[in-house]
Amino acid sequence: MSRKGIFVRTFRRNKISVVGLLMALCLVIIAVIAPWISPYDPISQDISVQHAPPGWAHLFGADSYGRDQLSRVLWGSRVSLVVGLLSVLFAMAAGIPLGMIGGYKGGWVDNLVLRFIDIFMSFPIVILGLLVLAVMGPGLMKIVIAIGVALTPRIARLARGSTLSVKGKEYIEAARAVGQNDARIMMIHVLPNIFGDILVMGTLWVATAIIVEASLSFIGLGVRPPTPSWGAMIRDGLDQLTNAPWLSLFPGLAIFVSVFSFNLIADGLRDISDPKLRG
Amino acid sequence: MRKILAFSLVALISIIIACLPVFAQEKVVRMALKASDIRSLDPHYGTTTIDYACIDPMFNALVRFKPEDINPEKIEPDLAERWERSKHGLVWTFSLRKGVKFHKGYGELTAEDVKFSLEKAANKASSGFAADYAALDKVEVLDKYKVRITFKSAIPSVLGILTNYHGGYIVSKKAVMEKGDKFKFDPIGTGPFMLKEYLAKEKVVEVRHPEFFRGRPKLDRVELWFMPDASSREMAFRKGEIDIVEGEREQAWVNKMRTVPGTAIEIFGPGETLTLHFNMTKKPLDDIRVRRAISHAIDRGELMKFLGADVTSKLVSVIPMDYLGGTDKVATYEFDPEKAKKLLAEAGYPKGLDLSMVITEMSDYRRPMEQVQEQLRRVGIRLKMDVITHTAYHEQIRKDVNPLVLYVCARFPTADPLLTQFFYSKSIIGTPTAVTNFSHYNKIDNLIEKARVEPDPKKQKEVWGEAQKKIIEDAVALPLCITKFVFARKTYVDLGYEMRSTLTLVTPIKETTDIRK
Amino acid sequence: MGEYMVYDTVCKRRGDFFVATLYEKRTMLTYAIRRLILVLPTLWAVVTFVFFLIRIVPGGPAVAALGSYATEESIRQLEKQMGLDKPILVQYGSFLKNLCRGDLGKSLITHKPISQEIFRALPYTLDLAIGGMIIGILFGIPSGIMTALRRNRAPDYIGRILSLVGISMPEFYLGILLMYLFAIKLQLFPVLGGGDFSHLGSRLYHLFLPALTLGIIMTAFVSRMVRSSMLNVLGEDYVRTARAKGLPERKVIYKHALRNALIPTVTVIGIYMSILMGGSVLTEIIFSRPGLGKMMVFAVKDRDYIALQSVIIIFSAFVFLFNLITDLLYAVIDPRIEYH
Repeated sequence: MSRKGIFVRTFRRNKISVVGLLMALCLVIIAVIAPWISPYDPISQDISVQHAPPGWAHLFGADSYGRDQLSRVLWGSRVSLVVGLLSVLFAMAAGIPLGMIGGYKGGWVDNLVLRFIDIFMSFPIVILGLLVLAVMGPGLMKIVIAIGVALTPRIARLARGSTLSVKGKEYIEAARAVGQNDARIMMIHVLPNIFGDILVMGTLWVATAIIVEASLSFIGLGVRPPTPSWGAMIRDGLDQLTNAPWLSLFPGLAIFVSVFSFNLIADGLRDISDPKLRG
Repeated sequence: MRKILAFSLVALISIIIACLPVFAQEKVVRMALKASDIRSLDPHYGTTTIDYACIDPMFNALVRFKPEDINPEKIEPDLAERWERSKHGLVWTFSLRKGVKFHKGYGELTAEDVKFSLEKAANKASSGFAADYAALDKVEVLDKYKVRITFKSAIPSVLGILTNYHGGYIVSKKAVMEKGDKFKFDPIGTGPFMLKEYLAKEKVVEVRHPEFFRGRPKLDRVELWFMPDASSREMAFRKGEIDIVEGEREQAWVNKMRTVPGTAIEIFGPGETLTLHFNMTKKPLDDIRVRRAISHAIDRGELMKFLGADVTSKLVSVIPMDYLGGTDKVATYEFDPEKAKKLLAEAGYPKGLDLSMVITEMSDYRRPMEQVQEQLRRVGIRLKMDVITHTAYHEQIRKDVNPLVLYVCARFPTADPLLTQFFYSKSIIGTPTAVTNFSHYNKIDNLIEKARVEPDPKKQKEVWGEAQKKIIEDAVALPLCITKFVFARKTYVDLGYEMRSTLTLVTPIKETTDIRK
Repeated sequence: MGEYMVYDTVCKRRGDFFVATLYEKRTMLTYAIRRLILVLPTLWAVVTFVFFLIRIVPGGPAVAALGSYATEESIRQLEKQMGLDKPILVQYGSFLKNLCRGDLGKSLITHKPISQEIFRALPYTLDLAIGGMIIGILFGIPSGIMTALRRNRAPDYIGRILSLVGISMPEFYLGILLMYLFAIKLQLFPVLGGGDFSHLGSRLYHLFLPALTLGIIMTAFVSRMVRSSMLNVLGEDYVRTARAKGLPERKVIYKHALRNALIPTVTVIGIYMSILMGGSVLTEIIFSRPGLGKMMVFAVKDRDYIALQSVIIIFSAFVFLFNLITDLLYAVIDPRIEYH
């Protein structure tokens, strides 16, 4: 059975990752159907319910403008998820080729890639995100790019490492012996075999990306108001912490639950592949 | 073994001593203000609340408002003991107090300092308020303690430009000449407190000026902290790390602070006007129907409800009622979304229109604007807002970036400053004499000029009234409401005066302010 | 946060399914020397990257600082102030020259030398990072050991869930919760500032909550790290040998397993520090600590590009330094480790 097949089968058997996957799927589904399941329009204001505590009319309460928090949290999942997934995809699209080429080719190419990785790893993700946003200005796609750029070296490093371990395998030797060129070898033989590792780390990075997006929104560099974003909601709620603590509580929980689910998946995946770590 | 024990004991004791809090018997008041940094401590450049808060305790002027009451009729002597005015009000002679000492050994206040200060204030290169002194002709030193000020033309209030506000502050000639540009962050005045240190983005620390002419100030030290974050300010106040805190101008804030034990809430005037200016150079705001539509779309009642009854009051005209010359006899654009939609359709926008603007993150501006954004959305006007820093906002609006400009401010309580700065053609932004005329309005110049020189106060008020009527008719700006200043202070801080209203926009620290713990 | 490089160093030793960076064997010395030689060029590259990135702001940093419709005059004035009117290479040259002299330029807002401000702010950030790390190590190592030893039993599950919670928590949220609980409700700790740096008591008092915030998250990371590496080691041959030899379990664990498991943990101090420095940004904002992170955010919001450039350079220099220490320590401490 192919490596991939074994992988999928053991994944299904591992409880942790299944739970995580289910949670993450719920999140994705919520993000998609948010417009239909939200009880209210997330940006419509109603001053008469200003700072309403959680109750029947507003399950998560209402903010200073009387906007329904539940609807805003539901809609906020769209921003977090889009940023989380797209930025990791961006980083993969940029980082995998980079790491693969460096790892496979070796020599000065590899050195160049390594130096590139070194340089960019000097910036903690939030900092690089900050820097990129400072240059580009705020906005949803810009955040995706900012976080994507910050994650690229990390994924490149990963891809490189995996490539190095795969490089010595027989099928690579065989392909080379047959006379296939480097590009083909990388695409057909290396890529599918390193993809598993990347996927695992990818889920972790999605978790990270969600936190980083929330952090940047919290600082004020996120999407424009009145679009709901969990980080920005926590920030607004902070001013009312003593009189309306639920305003920061629920978006924070939402972030936590989302990140937790992706971490669960990643943990589960790790446990599968490494019997010594398994429970 | 014993050596080890002894050594450990000594080490332990030293650590404990190192950790003991510094026992300060000093009287300190720590005030937290809603700003990230000061722009200048030079009183002729300070324009923001935080600047005033730091400047006021350090400087005096020839005359001053009675603390704290901005009634211009109650202006009283400060550095000047008495004065005489000529028959037509063009020549004023001031006799200075003797023995007033500047900070840090910069000598005694003399007429030379007064001449220097006023000339500095009137000079565009050394003051942001030079326009206020356009009518100033010359300042002459008659003797060491006598100064004569001559004006080219009569102005509504001479004492107004010589009082402890904006350009009226008197600085030390010697210090300015010595320090040059550095004076901005190392000022010397005659006030009860003098600058000890300024830590950028953190705080300004001022200490007692022992030779203050009204007597030794009661406090040893005043710390003015910059805390733009509402929650940090609130937490610091609750915790007791801050004694006086600038509040949010919202009911929710007032209500929750009232529940904190040992707190006194100060809500005072004159308050700041919230006015929405329409930039008529930005299409489609050049069309009066669109401007009127926007005016009808905005529900001022909802806005005031959002901010709260305790902290707002009605604003009908662009000049508040309690300013000299303010009137309520102007047309009002009633809240009428249907009419708004109709007007938009008439102007060619049946499907609504899109506008983009920048807004500062400062809550006094941002929060009302987010409401306005929503109200406009309900009639089909989609307003895209980019949130930027307060400093950046104030720079950008002066560069014609925004179609709508929300401005929050207080000015000397007569109609002239507001009319001149916001609606006079010479003040149009982008011109060399620009002030804050964001709308590019130029149709009431004659009325403004006429009112300035009108000797009969009743007629003056009438002309001012006409000007305000025209502003509303032409839908140049929409007055939203007045928000009052909100401060919370610990009950053990005795301000030493009754807080009624002040142009410093904060609860100023005076020589009479004391701590009673 | 979420640096999984930490995890990848464990796997470096095993060359397994996940990440293996072993390829060529070199001697430790050559490796160390090579790394050291590359310090300066890499730092230079970092600095250059920041320099050019700042200048590709659409319209130029002066325009961005002033706004898109700034008057020609004010733009030109600011450009002159920032030295932008000269050709780019000349600017770059003078920038490097100044950098070597220690002159980081003047802030666009305060017009004061940035190096002063950075010098003042740096200790607060370092304090925070070190404090967070100490707490993380202090609690993370024992809990990691415990969960590894009690694998699959109650403590393990609890420990794993808790640590999973720890790494899923955004640090600013945790900071807010802690602040609410300890500083507001219980009134135990201050909310403001960094305290008087020269006074140890005040310094520690103001450090506690922020360091605890980062410390809790660090504990979660360290604990997981220690657990994985313990489990790896416990499965190794030499451990089985030791057991087979009849050595008491206690000795097996503490003498053999632990020491070897801790090696990768200790050597990634550098990575921890870089995670911590990243986490410090938001923590400093929440607790109003006057450190580098707060300075950086304000520089971005104020569009003070010179300050931003300088702060980021210093920041990344430190992170780079810590990463370097990591790599060197790693190479030095365990000669059995293979590296490229």
